[in-house]
Amino acid sequence: MLLFRSEESVDRWCETHNVPRRPLIDLQQLWQLAVHWYANRLTPESRRPAADEMVSIFASIGLTGPFWDPKSDQWKADG
Amino acid sequence: MLNEDTVTRVKLAIYGMIADTGAIPNSMELAWATGLAETSVREAFSRLHVKRLLVPEPGDSSRIRMAPPFSGIPTAFPVDATGKRYYANCIWDAYGIAAALHTDAIIPARDGYSGEALTLEVKGERPIPQPYVAHFAVPAARWWDDIIHT
Repeated sequence: MLLFRSEESVDRWCETHNVPRRPLIDLQQLWQLAVHWYANRLTPESRRPAADEMVSIFASIGLTGPFWDPKSDQWKADG
Repeated sequence: MLNEDTVTRVKLAIYGMIADTGAIPNSMELAWATGLAETSVREAFSRLHVKRLLVPEPGDSSRIRMAPPFSGIPTAFPVDATGKRYYANCIWDAYGIAAALHTDAIIPARDGYSGEALTLEVKGERPIPQPYVAHFAVPAARWWDDIIHT
C-alpha cells in the first residue's frame, strides 16, 4: 500500500497504473493497524493475527466488507 | 526438528538485532548470536515463514527479505528512530516500526503518484495528524499471494 497527499492523487495514480481504486484509510486508522499488528512484535508471544482476528481488528476501526476479509473468495479473478 | 522455544529464540534474536542496528541479520550472524547451528537457524526461518513472521530472500535462504515491519533491503519507506535509519516494507509497516519499537519516529515518505515529500511523525506513541491517505490496492485475501509486491 502507498501513501498519498489526497484522494485526487490516488485517482491519478490509479489512472496511470490502470488499476481500480480500492479503499482509502486515514492516518489514524493506519496507525491503529500498525499498533494491532506490531506493538508486541519484539516479544516472545508475538504472532500475526489470525484471519478471524483480522476481521475483528478491521471492523473495530470501521473497515468492513469483503475487501477486508482474508477469507473472502471474491478477489480470485481480478485481484 | 526444532522445538518451539528455539524458534522463538531465533525470532527474538532477529528482532533484537534489527532494533539495535537497523539491519536484518543473516543466518550466519544469527548462528553466532544464538549459539545454534546455521542449519537450525535456517530451519527457524522456514518455521517463521509459515507463521508469516518472516520472508526469506528469494533464491538465498541465508538471508531475510522481510521481518515485518522491517525490510531486509532499503525501500522507499525509511523510518528514522532511536538515532538509526530503519526500512519498512510499506507505509503501514513504517508506522509499524514506530509501534514495534515504542518510540518516536520521523518517516520521510513520498506521495505515491507525484513523489512529493510527505513527512509523517509519531510522537508519544501517537501519529501527528496529517490529511494524507493510504490506498490499499490489494484485498486482504490476496496480501500473501505476493507479499513482497503487496
